[in-house]
Amino acid sequence: MELYEKSAAELGRMLRAKEASAAEITESVLGRIAQVEPRVGAYLTLTEETARSQAARVDEKLAKGEALAPLAGIPLAVKDNISTKDVLTTCASKILYNYVPSFDAFAYARAMEQGMVLLGKVNMDEFAMGSSCENSAMKTTRNPHNPDYVPGGSSGGSAAAVAACEAVLALGSDTGGSIRQPAAYCGVVGLKPTYGSVSRYGLVAFASSLDQIGPVARTVEDAALLFEAIAGRDPMDATSIPHDYTGLAAGIHAPVQGMTIGLPKEYFGEGVEEETRAAVLAAADALKAQGVTVKEISLPSTPYGLAAYYIISSAEASSNLARFDGVKYGYRTPEYSSLTEMYEKTRSEGFGDEVKRRIMLGTFVLSSGYYDAYYKRAKLMQNRIAAEFAEAFAGCDAILAPTAPGTAFRLGENYDNPLKMYAADVCTVNINIAGLPAVSIPCGTGKNGLPIGMQLIGAKFEEAKILRLAAAYESLCGGFAPAAIVD
Amino acid sequence: MQIDIAHIARLSRLAIEEDKLPKFQSQMESIITMVEQLPPMEDAGIGLDPEHPMQLRKDEVKPSMKRDEILKNAPQMQAGCVVVPKTVE
Repeated sequence: MELYEKSAAELGRMLRAKEASAAEITESVLGRIAQVEPRVGAYLTLTEETARSQAARVDEKLAKGEALAPLAGIPLAVKDNISTKDVLTTCASKILYNYVPSFDAFAYARAMEQGMVLLGKVNMDEFAMGSSCENSAMKTTRNPHNPDYVPGGSSGGSAAAVAACEAVLALGSDTGGSIRQPAAYCGVVGLKPTYGSVSRYGLVAFASSLDQIGPVARTVEDAALLFEAIAGRDPMDATSIPHDYTGLAAGIHAPVQGMTIGLPKEYFGEGVEEETRAAVLAAADALKAQGVTVKEISLPSTPYGLAAYYIISSAEASSNLARFDGVKYGYRTPEYSSLTEMYEKTRSEGFGDEVKRRIMLGTFVLSSGYYDAYYKRAKLMQNRIAAEFAEAFAGCDAILAPTAPGTAFRLGENYDNPLKMYAADVCTVNINIAGLPAVSIPCGTGKNGLPIGMQLIGAKFEEAKILRLAAAYESLCGGFAPAAIVD
Repeated sequence: MQIDIAHIARLSRLAIEEDKLPKFQSQMESIITMVEQLPPMEDAGIGLDPEHPMQLRKDEVKPSMKRDEILKNAPQMQAGCVVVPKTVE
């Protein structure tokens, strides 16, 4: 087994046992990138020199006998909407094609404090709006399991890089499923944390009340380690909530016997592919055999989630993206005769079609005469969905559901049909609407050879419970295999 | 539902090319048909999460980012200021 295939936990052990140096680990992953990146296309910016010097620092500390943080020396890929000081942060948009932040995002700074090694910035749907990575203005990212298929989105680069062993860990962001859905499509682990548990400072805002940064990994333990490192109260984000997650990663292998899982019938009905339904139910049976109680539950407002999500997220996006006007940063149109013309041309040339659709939808639902009919109704539905989840958690420790209605689709298949594309988020958006944590893990393979994913959803701040159940299932499977990239 | 796409685009400070208007029009209408599926609901009020109200940081005087650092991303700059077209005659 090559170093680049190993988990962060195993590499950490090897580092401390002097079986591998941070420099060797980094070179191994950089070598893997050179080998497979032309077929995957996950990275927008590579930071090899930064990576090598960061790895050298870890090796120096190790040689001096200094203590290392759990993730020291572990190579990391970062989604391109997470600010990295002095490293391009484009959000895969033409409008930020040259933007270099003058500060680090909180979550990224936490990862660097651990001594992690930055490999580079990875592709995404422009401003995290999309479910396939095809809305990137920069490049096409392919599913490492089959290059004709999408990696999912919007954190498609994060999931593809980890699945292809082009990174040991990655940071992504999840507004309506953007960590979990690509994790499912690429056969890796993706955690969307409780809203407020990870600071959004330095995450380029899409929908501030829903956005959350989280980890992508090949093992549940690795996802837990990275989450534990980036969680915490940050005065720079007024919505960040203090919560002590100490010992979370160390506790994920605790027994699951006696825990209760709810299966919401609305997530297994029409629109969900038969093979996906069967795979998730088989996983529930496997957990049942471990002493977990499985029961059917109902979340009756589930079908309304997609509508509420697109109203709320687009409303917030239309406001958040008003800052891109060609004045302070990024692209400015070359020819204009007035300020208004400069704004309009800059934004029209700088944004892609999906971003324009969302800005216009948000503008529409907030416009005079429509606010009550759309935005207010969506916010009321948000309360109802959150209340239904809270009621369900009174009777179970976690909720199990498919992450997406099916496996990855072909490149181009849904590109020109926004509604079909939005339907890929139908299983994930309600979790963001309710502010809950959920982890997606692989649970089988479809007829097309692509991974099937399922998500374990927890009550607020109950990441420990869902990660324990995820780790128990992972053990039953004997671990999750990375993508086998065929020449 | 019929929407005035040119009006919405203007409010959004977007200029949609003539030849793209019909496509945007039909896509936006189908999206709005989808979001219209929300049922009427009793107005129980909407507000912040009562368990986790936002915590504002103290208003303290502290060193901030350097002006030159921030301005290095501006498309056009002169004498430490961002250059924009004339806004007042």
